[in-house]
Amino acid sequence: MEGETSAVNIVETPKERKGKAPLLAAPPGGSSSSKAVPVVVKPAATKGGYRRGLAVFDVVLRIAGVATALGAAIAMGSTDQTLPFFTQFFQFKASYDDLPAFTFFLIANAITASYLVLTIPISIVCILRPNATKPRVILMFFDTVMVALTTSAAGGAASIVYLAHNGNSDANWPAICQQFNDFCQKISGAVVASFLSVVILMALVVLSAFSL
Amino acid sequence: MKAGPLQLGVVPPANRAIAILDFFLRPIAIVGTLASAIAMATTNQTLPFFSQFIRFRAKFNDLPSFTFFVVASSIVSAYLILSLGFSILHIAKSNLVNSRVLLLLLDTAAMGLLMAGSAAATAIVQLAHKGNNKVNWFAICQQYNSFCKRVSGSLIGSYAGVVVLILLILLSGVALSRR
Repeated sequence: MEGETSAVNIVETPKERKGKAPLLAAPPGGSSSSKAVPVVVKPAATKGGYRRGLAVFDVVLRIAGVATALGAAIAMGSTDQTLPFFTQFFQFKASYDDLPAFTFFLIANAITASYLVLTIPISIVCILRPNATKPRVILMFFDTVMVALTTSAAGGAASIVYLAHNGNSDANWPAICQQFNDFCQKISGAVVASFLSVVILMALVVLSAFSL
Repeated sequence: MKAGPLQLGVVPPANRAIAILDFFLRPIAIVGTLASAIAMATTNQTLPFFSQFIRFRAKFNDLPSFTFFVVASSIVSAYLILSLGFSILHIAKSNLVNSRVLLLLLDTAAMGLLMAGSAAATAIVQLAHKGNNKVNWFAICQQYNSFCKRVSGSLIGSYAGVVVLILLILLSGVALSRR
């Protein structure tokens, strides 16, 4: 029997890592047969490995999301077009605060951009500790709320932009884009950037789900 | 801290409770989204006077945003009805990971779609109530009273659906983290 070695695989569960595991492990209840229960052993290192990769991608996506949300807010906020003619009775100036939907859009996108900037440190913590689940769940919940907020801003503004491009003959609402060309281009671009940030936020939620 | 023996392959009881709560929240969202889709789709108000050139009838498909809202609400309510099956599966087998992740993914997409539809409809409803004199869009609610009330009320159901979907996503996330 000399020279025979047997390797024992020790799997470290998260509870053991935190020092909370019970001292004795019993096999699943009711094992009266003497058959060995096969246990699938996953080394903890590769589990942390793919989570770390996902966390890095998470930070990259957050930075991209800051860019798109900030771009949308700036594009909307810098709208101010004055047509080069005037009369006594009609308005020939178009700006974002003429329409409450656009004001809400600006505020919501600014909130999303600052939220994403503030959660970059938490994401970096998730890179350093790939097996921690509590920051991941918190981030996922707040990301979901931000998806809702950004989608509502983008959807409302998209609806008004559609009206501005096409008007509505049944409600006697004229299409203002035919006169305010530059204003229209800016608001359409802002809506597109906002929907991009919605997609990025949804990808962040899905990433968190995969690495939980 | 419970010092029980480490049991392999046994689901923590919290996951089953989360799955049951999930199964009870879904019908609330179904009722909300279905009711709002139906309320919006059955709008039809005709004013009691007429002239040769101007129309005096308001329906939901006069405004493309409302059409999108009805379509989005219907799609999300159909998805929620189908996902009840997933819910039941998670109550029976609470340690499935892949199907929970799939459910979370689909719930997120459904929430985005529903919220986009509700926001588009809300923007038009706000315009219909207040008008906008800077763009010469006048408030149609002053004439089409019952149409306006119905349309505004149907938004409540879909926003309730959005809130319930957010809770469902949170529940799925918590269940995934406890394994």
